[in-house]
Amino acid sequence: MSPLLDVRDLTVRFPMPKPSLFAPRPHLEAVRQISFTLEPGRALGIVGESGSGKTTAAMATIRLTEASGGEVHFDGVDLLKLSPEKMRMRRRDIQLIFQDPYSSLNPRTRVNDIVREPMDLMEVGTPAERRERVVEYFRLVGLRPDQLDLFPHQFSGGQRQRISIARALTTDPKLLVCDEPVSALDVAIQAQILNLLARLKDELGLSYLFISHDLGVVRHVCDDVAVMYLGKIVEHAPRAALFDAPQHPYTQALISAAPSLARRKSKGYVRPLKVSGDPPSPINPPPGCAFAERCPRAQPLCREVQPELEPVGGSLAACHFPGPDEALRDAS
Amino acid sequence: MTGTTAQKAPEARSPAREAWRMYRRNLPAVAGAIILLAIIGATLYGTFFYGGDPFEIVWAPHEAPGATPEFPLGTDYLGRDIVAGLLTGGGPTLAVGAAAALITMIIGVSLGALAGYYGGWLDNLLMRFTEFFQVLPALLFAMVLITLFSPSLWTIAIAIGVVSWPQTARLTRAEFLKIKELEYVTAARAIGAKNGRIIWKVILPNAAPPLIVSATLTIGVAILFEAGLSFLGLGDPNQMSWGLMIGANREYILDAWWPVTFPGLAIFLTVFAVSLVGDGLNDAFNPKLRER
Amino acid sequence: MTALLEIEDLRVTFNTRHGQVTALDSVSLHVNEGETLGVVGESGCGKSITALSVMGLIPSPPGRIAGGEIRLDGENLVGASDKRLRRLRGAEAAMIFQEPMTSLNPVFTVGEQIAEAIMLHQKVSHDRAFRDAIELLDRVGIPSPESRARDYPHQLSGGMRQRVMIAMAVSCRPRVLIADEPTTALDVTVQAQIFDLLNEIQRDFGAAIVLITHDMGAISEMADRVAVMYAGRVIEEASADNVLDHPLHPYARGLIDCIPALGREETDLKEIPGVVPPLHLLGEGCAFADRCAHCEPRCLREKPRLVTHGNHPAAHPAACHGVEEGRI
Repeated sequence: MSPLLDVRDLTVRFPMPKPSLFAPRPHLEAVRQISFTLEPGRALGIVGESGSGKTTAAMATIRLTEASGGEVHFDGVDLLKLSPEKMRMRRRDIQLIFQDPYSSLNPRTRVNDIVREPMDLMEVGTPAERRERVVEYFRLVGLRPDQLDLFPHQFSGGQRQRISIARALTTDPKLLVCDEPVSALDVAIQAQILNLLARLKDELGLSYLFISHDLGVVRHVCDDVAVMYLGKIVEHAPRAALFDAPQHPYTQALISAAPSLARRKSKGYVRPLKVSGDPPSPINPPPGCAFAERCPRAQPLCREVQPELEPVGGSLAACHFPGPDEALRDAS
Repeated sequence: MTGTTAQKAPEARSPAREAWRMYRRNLPAVAGAIILLAIIGATLYGTFFYGGDPFEIVWAPHEAPGATPEFPLGTDYLGRDIVAGLLTGGGPTLAVGAAAALITMIIGVSLGALAGYYGGWLDNLLMRFTEFFQVLPALLFAMVLITLFSPSLWTIAIAIGVVSWPQTARLTRAEFLKIKELEYVTAARAIGAKNGRIIWKVILPNAAPPLIVSATLTIGVAILFEAGLSFLGLGDPNQMSWGLMIGANREYILDAWWPVTFPGLAIFLTVFAVSLVGDGLNDAFNPKLRER
Repeated sequence: MTALLEIEDLRVTFNTRHGQVTALDSVSLHVNEGETLGVVGESGCGKSITALSVMGLIPSPPGRIAGGEIRLDGENLVGASDKRLRRLRGAEAAMIFQEPMTSLNPVFTVGEQIAEAIMLHQKVSHDRAFRDAIELLDRVGIPSPESRARDYPHQLSGGMRQRVMIAMAVSCRPRVLIADEPTTALDVTVQAQIFDLLNEIQRDFGAAIVLITHDMGAISEMADRVAVMYAGRVIEEASADNVLDHPLHPYARGLIDCIPALGREETDLKEIPGVVPPLHLLGEGCAFADRCAHCEPRCLREKPRLVTHGNHPAAHPAACHGVEEGRI
């Protein structure tokens, strides 16, 4: 099966203000030559902490942020080479759900118009069909059609996220990019939206590019997971392999840091794997492995040579010294 | 929300309606609106009830207010009726104010929107252009324009518009810079909306509240500006206006206070009412005050 | 062990445009020396209001403590003078807020701010206070504290700022430390660091910690005891193990089942339908009734009380008619 999305060497750099008139202009290296593929009907999670470049990577993939280099083959066509008008028409197949349900809906537009707008722009069906479809999708995401005339501020956060999902689905997209779709919601509401997304994926055969900082959420929704750190993918694996036998020390640190119901203070739980400090700055990133400064396994080699993604265990990992972590395995 | 709306279809509350609800509860703002409407009504329809040509010499000069029941506010230095002048002169004054504000908004919003939305070199170019207009002394520049094109209501309105748009442009640009980073704008791009649609249909309506407030206040400023120009003798001499009345009578202010004071009060009251309305709109559009 | 902080029947009301609403209704909690109490619930459940009440920081008006007692080491804080509260704040009870950036003053160095906090409660010279501040920064794991003390808040990362907040909070060795969602603004690896730090501080200083969170995972790792709050009431309270392994109230169960936590295989997350009702719409009955799968007519009529039902070994207080009647 040919992949729906095949991203090669995608790079995004942002020019920064010059420190002085004659100094060279520094660049913020948000995404550094990442490659991944997404098969139709699957969900790829991109996990990372703030500043890892996960959102920028997704936005550059669908050309909402300008990429500095690389290729993005969607359905066999390189999106980065399309003319603006051709790209605009392509947006029918690629839709997006945002993190903040409070700012992703235009406050001055009735939700009816919000959900219908993509069809209007892409000229899907007749006006009557569009109206019917709005009602249909409103029901599909669990909202009542008698709320169609309301404005976004009259809905709760979870309901707004449902509106966002309905808007994204009306043009029958093949790919849905979800940018932290539940991180602004209360835990109980998160579950509602995650279940809805899982159901829609099966019913409509959607593919997801799912951005999140929350490993639990990714584990629930995604088939494959890519872990990003400072603009690079450091580990890429099927879900089971990544969570059961993580190879990269950063993945292990993330899993060790994520709160879990199995870890009890009452049972004398002490975190087995601790990382200290913060990620380095994405402006002039270090030449070697970006995680080296915080890594318990770091050797001089790590600070000099950038590791490439290579198969190890069931994963692809970018690490000079990959392998399972003893402490983490003993603890679980 | 689920619990409360389960029974009947909920009522749509548009942001504009919410703003109106807030506005109604603001006493000074409502008072300002009433004063303003009364002034507009008087200038539009007052002449039906109180006839008379404001340029016609009807009585002895400098008749004091109240001295003759026929001319309740007295006469000016030529013996022209002041009430007739106030009623006829209000229209042009308000019209110049409104037209100037409109011109200000058209130029300012267009340039500010383009600069804010596209950024980069276009922003740089437009902002330097704006700054150029901003550093010109406004009154002098307006006087030059009016002298060049001979004073008429239109040239005065245009002159005021041309000197006052830079502030609006800066305000619009700032709003656009802020709003274009919001997710619903990215959402519009993600569903394939073109730039024109995003500028006019997505960002502008959301930038409207501060712009409406600014437009309202610009009307007040334009009225004062027009009065100032007329006072300097640059008004349209064939159109009665409050400014012209003050300008014509200013030399005799020590002999008779009323021909200058009443049009001055009219201007003050109008501008005061306009600012009350502007402040009221500002509060009404402020979502932070809404929940009180 | 004695209860260091005791809240009894606390009632807090707010004046809103919907009239007077009850933000906290007969809330009773206690925390012992050296213990961590987790307070968990969704936003709008009254967790933060509880914390602010203890600190005497309820914005008034519109807020008001309408009844009950808050006892710190036996001394009732409700109705205490402002002067007394100011003395206790910081010295006896300190608070760590959610957003470390807005809780620090941007125009002073962090060392100055910690020194300031020390000098408020202890009669020491400025130099001494500043040296103590550096020591505290070292204690909370900030590398090269000497130079960091001279940094301004914006020069530090989010995790560092939260460490500064913790340093400031523990500067006078408070006996109660209230942490209101201290890690929501932080990344997971940094959150783990902060949690580990709080645990260390508790071990070293023997402070009682009240951890306010919406995350059952954090509760599991951090708390000895748990109070679950909903719509301004405590609806379940017990040891962390009891609540996590044998939750009684349907809301507590929902909160545990709805998180996609690691270490648990599940195909479909349990949902809690609907949202927390706004306070002015709370009716006669159980506030959770319209989201509850086990709702019966009695639940709509009568507010359940927080009492232990039955004599099962894991039985613990829960405010639910269903639990009382044995149907849940």
